[in-house]
Amino acid sequence: MPHFLIHNKQDNVGVAITDIRRGEEIEGVYIEDMSQGPKLKALDEIPLGHKIALKDIRQGEFVIKYGRPIGSAIRDIRMGEHVHVHNVKSNRWSKWKNP
Amino acid sequence: MEKPVIKGYIRENGSVGVRNYVALIPVDDLSNTAVLGVSKLIRGTVPIPHPYGRLQFGKDLELLFHILSGIGSNPNVASAIVIGIEENWANRIADKIAETGKSVEVFPIEGNGDLKVIEKASRKAKEFVQEASEKQRTEVDLSSLVLSIKCGESDTTSGLASNPATGYAVDRLIDYGATVLFGETSELTGAEDIVASKIIDPLLREKFMKIYKEYVSFIESQGVDLLGSQPTEGNIKGGLSTIEEKALGNIQKLGTKPITCVLDYLDLLPKGSSRLCFVNTSSAAAEAVTLFAAKGSVLHLFTTGQGNVIGNPIIPVVKISANPKTIASMSEHIDVDVSDLLQLKVSLREAGERIFNYTIRVANGRLTSAEILQHDEFSPTKLYISA
Repeated sequence: MPHFLIHNKQDNVGVAITDIRRGEEIEGVYIEDMSQGPKLKALDEIPLGHKIALKDIRQGEFVIKYGRPIGSAIRDIRMGEHVHVHNVKSNRWSKWKNP
Repeated sequence: MEKPVIKGYIRENGSVGVRNYVALIPVDDLSNTAVLGVSKLIRGTVPIPHPYGRLQFGKDLELLFHILSGIGSNPNVASAIVIGIEENWANRIADKIAETGKSVEVFPIEGNGDLKVIEKASRKAKEFVQEASEKQRTEVDLSSLVLSIKCGESDTTSGLASNPATGYAVDRLIDYGATVLFGETSELTGAEDIVASKIIDPLLREKFMKIYKEYVSFIESQGVDLLGSQPTEGNIKGGLSTIEEKALGNIQKLGTKPITCVLDYLDLLPKGSSRLCFVNTSSAAAEAVTLFAAKGSVLHLFTTGQGNVIGNPIIPVVKISANPKTIASMSEHIDVDVSDLLQLKVSLREAGERIFNYTIRVANGRLTSAEILQHDEFSPTKLYISA
């Protein structure tokens, strides 16, 4: 069983489908065609359902899931890091756009 | 493949229900006590108490009437009793229900008092229950069904598995001619353009975008945004980081059919051919399901990631989850387990067929977890404060 799933080939994050331990060597599957996704090393604990960076994402870059931006990185994120509210923010809602 | 049939209750106006209730509807908060009094005396009645109905005005009042008369008119209801402090508003609701051809009776409290009302309404309710008990389920075409879909306590497993599997079932239901309602206006933020692109008719698309934009302007007019509310604490715990991510997961349950109808708060569901229908609703579970039921939905498919427990007094709510932790920790609430899709042990088609088949069983009378656990949430949407 893969450790994480990826919605779209353009995505820079995957979703853990099991609890992933820090330091674990993990692999993913692209669900659009069930092809093999990247293999990488988890830098954080990633609970089931949480996202993991599939590549380095620089501060200000879009976080891509479903092939679409789901927000922007608010600091540099390394491949294998946990991606969540501590390092990504919505591109929507006015307060974020005009803090 | 043979076309599946269901056994439902054909009502006087030809609409089809999957349950057979005698509804006790209070017009206002003051009438809840009498309604509950009748329900304690008469087996087989369903009380629908709520906290509103006094000094509402304008569109907000119209919406309350729309919801209360819609609930009474719902095909899952065999007959209804309306109790209100004042007679006029009670009659407005009862007259609408009577247009469906079903039996409805009004009992005003002013000039009578609770005890007299409870006695009179109970005698009538006893009659109604006996009449309803003789209504039989008959074979009807799936095309006569109106259903609704909504997710709650969503997480990333919703977008990966339970929502796309539900989308597969929605496609099947629409192929067989059923009508499916969806809503959750705020939770389309970040995917509203995808929803709009599924609306072929340009006028309907414009109507949808107007409803969506009005909603956003309302939020902005309050001088706030929805960070902190959307996504919710539960969503965040489940791994959803932003509203866009939540919305993109949410729309996976719409399936692949075009959206052929767009309903604002007060719009009635048009009769006729099969359709996928947007309804302007809150994204709060009970409010949305209440409004879907008022529009005529007789069965609701509810996907959940972190475990939402919602039900409704008159329509069965089927809980579907793909999160193995939720299914283990909240098993009594989950009707359909599609966690094997998340783990890639079955195909989307297999998981979708499972939901479709379960939907047919519930339409035929199988009770859902929410029905058995007495989750009877009835939450009319209120647009603004009362006078």
